[in-house]
Amino acid sequence: MNSQDKLERTTYLLLEIASMLMVSGANTNRANLSVTRFASVLQCKAYSMISHKTLIMTVTDDLTNQTFTKVQNIPPYIINFHIISAISKASWNAISQNWTVEQIEEEIVKINSLKRYPKFLVLVAVSFAGAGFCNIFGGDYLNMLVAFVSTFIGLFVVQEAHKREYNVYIRIFLGSLIASSLASVGIIQNIGENPHTALATSILFLVPGVALINSFTDLFDNNVLNGMVRFTTGLMTVLAIAFGLFAAMLIFQLN
Amino acid sequence: MIIIVLNLLEVAIWSGIAAVGFGILFNIPRKAIFTVFILGLGAGFIKFTLLNFHIDIVLSSLIAALSVGVLSMPLAHRIHQPPVVFSIPAVIPMIPGYFAYETVLSIMNFTFMETDSIKRIELMDAIFSNGFTMLFILISLTIGVSFPMLLLRKSTVKKMLD
Repeated sequence: MNSQDKLERTTYLLLEIASMLMVSGANTNRANLSVTRFASVLQCKAYSMISHKTLIMTVTDDLTNQTFTKVQNIPPYIINFHIISAISKASWNAISQNWTVEQIEEEIVKINSLKRYPKFLVLVAVSFAGAGFCNIFGGDYLNMLVAFVSTFIGLFVVQEAHKREYNVYIRIFLGSLIASSLASVGIIQNIGENPHTALATSILFLVPGVALINSFTDLFDNNVLNGMVRFTTGLMTVLAIAFGLFAAMLIFQLN
Repeated sequence: MIIIVLNLLEVAIWSGIAAVGFGILFNIPRKAIFTVFILGLGAGFIKFTLLNFHIDIVLSSLIAALSVGVLSMPLAHRIHQPPVVFSIPAVIPMIPGYFAYETVLSIMNFTFMETDSIKRIELMDAIFSNGFTMLFILISLTIGVSFPMLLLRKSTVKKMLD
């Protein structure tokens, strides 16, 4: 394999790593750091421009000074912290054991095939989180049950809409509408001591926590563009949630 | 006294459960689940204890989130995971959902329902106080989680030796 081919292969690999990190919900600085770390193992230097939907990267070989540049699109974002953690671990191992391109490629393929938690487990866990929220905001155990059921069905709707590849904000609007409608039934039937807490917490599973937290970390790191993009997507999500809640409250005439 | 502590513990445990629920939604590694639970529980306990002493909700959220951010650094080293994996799910239970809900409710009443001008002024007050409390809690959560990382990243031994 000549050096230009090797450089090309390295660039593809580094782009794949950066793209995986961005999709999984790492902040821009972490994506940059990981790419730099892997590049140093492969005796290269990587200079990249990371935006929300596109990556541009130039890799320079330390020995021959050859360069290779490629632009790549980033697929839709799906938060997956397991990938972030696995890539971080792989980068440290790569440094300490001085991995080759092939070894890193193998590891990345392995990381890409990591399984997510089963859908049903996610549904139950997030519904428990919804019930927990309801307790935090002062609901009793009946309110928590309402919050549990509405979160469960709301998230189920979101998952099904995701499977049918609906637009992300339509998905969130639908989830919010269904969950808050179910919780509104709880208010009308006056279930529990504090039925309004169930309505307030039934939609919290949609809150864009990762996008908002990452937006501020990016802003602190002076990755202002990415920070603003993340903040805007977070804001759009909040708006979609609010519209769903609005619609449910208008339908059920709550005020 | 004991009843207050028990109530605090109950809320704290539910905070931990909420943190784990979100962790599973974000697909955290199996090894990190227990850590996320403990961090979520600790954050909930700190926040509600401070609230119990009538400390402002923004400040108590900031202190709780800061402690999560600080604690997640040594924990990250111990179980070999990057700190974001458990610091973000742990602060999610402190997201100001109820203030967001109250803000939306007031906006809706203000725009579509209320016609009496005195009550409209009350609603405007509710929109601003709830809305800004929500915004400040969000900012303090993000600062709390990310500040220790941003601060320590520049001064780790590894970086200083470079």
